[in-house]
Amino acid sequence: MSNTGCISPIGRGLLDRRSFMRTAGLSMGGLGLASLLAEDDPTNFSGKTPIRPQIDADNPYAPRPSHFNVPAKQVLVIYCPGAVSHIDTFDHKPALEKQHGKKADYIPKVTFEGPPGNVAKAFWEFKPRGKTGKMASDLLPNMAQLVDEFCFFHALHTETAAHPQGENFFNTGFTMEGFPSFGAWVTYALGSENSDLPGFVAINDPRGLARSGKNNFGSGFLPASFQGTSFTAKNLPDNLKRPEKFNAVDDQATVDLLKQLNDSHLEQFPGDANLAARIASYELAGKMQTSVPEVMDLSKEPESIHREYGTESGSDLRKEYAKNCILARRLVEKGVRVVQLFNGSDPSGGNGITNWDSHENIFKTHAMQAEIMDQPTAALIRDMKRRGLLDHTLVVWATEFGRMPFLQGNGTGRDHNPDAFTCFMAGAGVKAGTSYGASDEFGFKAVDNRTSVYDFNATILHLMGLDHERLSYYHNGLERRLTNVHGHVVKEVLA
Amino acid sequence: MGTCGIQVKLIITTTILFFFEGMLAQEEQPHWSFQPVKRPAVPDVSDNPVDSFLDAQLEKTGVKSNDPADVHDLVRRLSVVLTGLPPKPERVVSFASAYSRNPSKAYSSLVEELLASSHFGERWAQHWLDIIRWAETNGSEANLYRKMAWVYRDYVVRAFNEDLPYDQFVREQLAGDTLGRGEATGFLVSGPHVPAATVGQIPEAIRQARADRMDEIIQTVASSLLGLTMNCARCHDHKFDPVSIDDYYSMAAVFQDIEFGSRSPEFGPDHPRRKRGEALLQRITDERKKLRGTGPWQEDWGGYREVHFGAAKFKAIRVNFKTPYVGIDELELFGPDLKQGNVALASKGTKISGPDHMAQRGRTTISRINDGEYGTMAWRAKSPAGSKDKPWALIEFSEPHTVSFVRLSTNREYYYEVDYLNTMPKMAFSHMKIQGQKLNGQWHTLADTHYIDTLNKERADRAAPLKNIQELIVNYAEQAPQPSFVGRFIEPAITRVMRRGSPENLKGEVMPAAPELLNGNLELTSKTPGSERRVNFARWATHPDNPLLARVMVNRLWQYVFGQGLVPTGSDFGRAGAKPSHPELLDWLASEFMNPKREKIKAWAVKDMIRLLVHSNAFKRSSRPAAHQADEALFWRFPPRRVEAEVIRDGILQASGKLDSKIGGRSYRIHNVKKTYAQWEVTDNHGPHTWRRMLYQERMRRVDDQIFTAFDFPDCGQVRAKRPVSTTPLQALNLMNSPFVVEQSAFIAQRAEQEAGKGEAAVKRCFELILGRQPKVDELNSCLRVSKSRGLKFVTRALINSNEFSFIQ
Repeated sequence: MSNTGCISPIGRGLLDRRSFMRTAGLSMGGLGLASLLAEDDPTNFSGKTPIRPQIDADNPYAPRPSHFNVPAKQVLVIYCPGAVSHIDTFDHKPALEKQHGKKADYIPKVTFEGPPGNVAKAFWEFKPRGKTGKMASDLLPNMAQLVDEFCFFHALHTETAAHPQGENFFNTGFTMEGFPSFGAWVTYALGSENSDLPGFVAINDPRGLARSGKNNFGSGFLPASFQGTSFTAKNLPDNLKRPEKFNAVDDQATVDLLKQLNDSHLEQFPGDANLAARIASYELAGKMQTSVPEVMDLSKEPESIHREYGTESGSDLRKEYAKNCILARRLVEKGVRVVQLFNGSDPSGGNGITNWDSHENIFKTHAMQAEIMDQPTAALIRDMKRRGLLDHTLVVWATEFGRMPFLQGNGTGRDHNPDAFTCFMAGAGVKAGTSYGASDEFGFKAVDNRTSVYDFNATILHLMGLDHERLSYYHNGLERRLTNVHGHVVKEVLA
Repeated sequence: MGTCGIQVKLIITTTILFFFEGMLAQEEQPHWSFQPVKRPAVPDVSDNPVDSFLDAQLEKTGVKSNDPADVHDLVRRLSVVLTGLPPKPERVVSFASAYSRNPSKAYSSLVEELLASSHFGERWAQHWLDIIRWAETNGSEANLYRKMAWVYRDYVVRAFNEDLPYDQFVREQLAGDTLGRGEATGFLVSGPHVPAATVGQIPEAIRQARADRMDEIIQTVASSLLGLTMNCARCHDHKFDPVSIDDYYSMAAVFQDIEFGSRSPEFGPDHPRRKRGEALLQRITDERKKLRGTGPWQEDWGGYREVHFGAAKFKAIRVNFKTPYVGIDELELFGPDLKQGNVALASKGTKISGPDHMAQRGRTTISRINDGEYGTMAWRAKSPAGSKDKPWALIEFSEPHTVSFVRLSTNREYYYEVDYLNTMPKMAFSHMKIQGQKLNGQWHTLADTHYIDTLNKERADRAAPLKNIQELIVNYAEQAPQPSFVGRFIEPAITRVMRRGSPENLKGEVMPAAPELLNGNLELTSKTPGSERRVNFARWATHPDNPLLARVMVNRLWQYVFGQGLVPTGSDFGRAGAKPSHPELLDWLASEFMNPKREKIKAWAVKDMIRLLVHSNAFKRSSRPAAHQADEALFWRFPPRRVEAEVIRDGILQASGKLDSKIGGRSYRIHNVKKTYAQWEVTDNHGPHTWRRMLYQERMRRVDDQIFTAFDFPDCGQVRAKRPVSTTPLQALNLMNSPFVVEQSAFIAQRAEQEAGKGEAAVKRCFELILGRQPKVDELNSCLRVSKSRGLKFVTRALINSNEFSFIQ
């Protein structure tokens, strides 16, 4: 190539449009930066060579190979905004019973919402469950039955006690705004197995988006192709449907005419990848108009499935969420690479009403959330196992931080605890029926095998066959990663 | 510290040097972009220096450049690049005709016409707002709306339209408060931030949030002006560039007086907003004159209320509230001469007292109402249960003052800083009686709001002036100097290096300075006032010895003209960025930008630089592919590119004839009025109130507008040198099925039929309106078929979706 000589070693290849069009493929726009991918690229902090996905401009969702072979081909993330109390669900702390109602010397002067009150034991009784005898509370009785499938992380800690930053951090690896979400990274790396559906689907809570909104499934500075497409069992993606006033013949006439216009235009620019990609995007859009309503249609699911998930019993929110759970399974079955299912939205309804944020009356509000989540989520995981989906699907259940072992000043709720919380994984590649790490005897701070969110994300990526240190993207001076410059894969949880 | 290799070399023995020879050979010279701009000789190849450099390179590589573009492509390309709008069909025709007679004259006059168009400023403002990820919401949890932030957007539009020299543009954005262009500091607070209310109570978290906000400021300044990724040095020395952690915090010290929030911008006497405000105030004064003599009256200013009465000299003023509960963040007293200012202020020696036993909790004492601070720190008083006593406030002056009105508010900060919330706090006071103590010690009732209500009913002559005043107030709130989200000033704290970026790990104090490698010592101290720090930084930044400012900007101008920069990493001129494809051309442009050698050209003139670029043959070349498939960076053709979301939306509205081309003002809303912590929801993204240029669509951080955001519209989270261009099925769905497109395609069809009649003529008119050209025979036939069988609006729908409409070529 003519003038590659004047380019820095880092930027070599950047101006080579032809090779660029083949490799990064999408366009000469911002993606130009993606081709800063010289073999000896020193900008990746890990000191390792970035592995760049070869993206086909005509089909950015085409499947791409993982960095190494793993059983997991897909991932389902069940995300619970608001912070689920670990000490009331899966992290059993008998020591709290002795201190119940008393002051304790470890209680700080001030936590997120202000001065705290006294220690409170778990609001629900813990019992041994499954063959492993793992202690889990009565708050989530159905999920508790499945503990033998789960791999718990009990020593998670995060960098912030505020929800939006916590969500950002968990889902994008940064507390600040504007970074690509986990799902976008995975879709960027791996594409999708299904050519008729988006590679990454975000199923938001029936009550709306979580606090960080689109950040949780956005593409940040990655190309927009890799953002999560948002729809639920109830709501189609925006503008998917043909306008009401138009009929199928109208649409076909438009599409045919458009094709003719574009084909004739393309004759002036033979081989132009950008133009070709745009033509292809209309074809995929057309397919989605059929495939999305099809996957959303739960009417052919047997009655037993509806009953198991709970689409016809319990609160209205539970019914809606249960339908979203069935949708999640159907998307996984169809080969969608990343499905992110939300249980909770933003807090506009007040404490604990719209998500897990229980600053007041935790006994009531956590129970309300649990009623929505427990049966459908348990059914989803059980159903996936039955169908063999867990053999190639990783399931992650997560929240942004934990809650305090003592009450707030109001005496009825628990404040945010960024220093200890619990999430779990299940399915492909994960050692089932285990617990990794431990919080102290009160569940106040993570102590044994402390696991940062970076570690957790590095582990998820590893389970998806991706090296978190080599999956990077040049943005404004840095090879950016989901795990920034941190993160260690927790090898102990790998099956 | 990772500064230059020369220092390293001094401590390395020659033996070791042997091993590092290769590396140090590279390190001895500073990185290219940190070297002074040197004006190279122009190769003697072409009349336009731009072509001289490009053609010399093409010649060297033996790549043949394309022929000039087709006249239709050219007029569309130039219009979109300069104004963001496609040319109107009539202009295409007149240009084609003029071009056939005298191409160079026709082209020049089109260039001048477009540069002079007020749409030029809108187009280039959009680019600048992208560079600094400017938006009208905070991002973060509540993603609150930043009230009046758009005055900065209007400033940028005006700056480009008036061809404000770039160095002045930079000075104003860094220190506009000292230059009568206060709104320009909106630049500094363009990034997202987490408001104090949502950080929580933990002191460490509060300190971390401030450090994060400072990082946003540094990100904005360093990347946009200097092409430096300074924020890489927040936790440790920069890994690739000679920027140390000390440099980072020294720069933080420069901006230590900036906080995210609102203030009333400092406007020079010539500022259009100030002039407009003065005119409106004069009209309000005229209306008030009509009320004088009819008794006291009230005015509702939205964020506060005023009670006016006859001006007199008083020793003290007493306000007796008639309701058992009041909440007041500030009570102000003014006379007819506004220059006198608020005489109730404690800082003027005024004594305040009230019923101590009624104050709720310790923090809400009466001293809150004359401390000069707006916001939640307010006086809250409540009558004891069963008591007939009501709250009151007594204001005693140190010396008598003339007073003619009282101004009260409950939470003016909230009112000034946010908007569009259905939870806006209401005034926590209603009726009151105001008394004044004259110089003889006698107390007089000056106004009683119950009496005012009676007066308003009884005296018909008060109705008109009162109504006029309220209307003028509404205009004043929109058009006059108002508190706006362009940053507020705080007392600069001493700046210390934060080890690993942690505010809990403070190291040595640093002085305000620019990066050391660029001779950034500003000779300032921790005692230097904030504005002086920024003024000095601006002087350093705009000094011709700074090698980065001009290089970075001419490269940006190039990028927005040609679609890709000479340096493709436009906000990273460091070692991790790419090198320029044409280093000499870049330096010639930078040098010419700062010190023009051509006649009658002013220094730092943006329009002239753009004029120079669009007059090049390189810009005018055809964009067709060639068999040689040579490197795009040789500019052997004009690289075709997809246009931005704005160009698509604006182009559709122009084609339908619905585009309201009003410049500036409040952004049009497509979202709901929401609860504080709720997400914004799109309510109407297509109705008539949205038929303005998309530059005026509220830029909401990370909020989807359900149509055009999908076209790589920035989420305004992290700075981006350039929008990516990706192609997704969601774009296709939005452009096929959104109510906006469906409606507008019908409007275009209607317009075409009205202007040209039915049948063939209507189809031809649709092509003119949307693509600026005539249909080819087979296109015409197919369109006619669709038009006849389904309707013309399906033809326009297809044309809007065509690749040709979304690309400039």
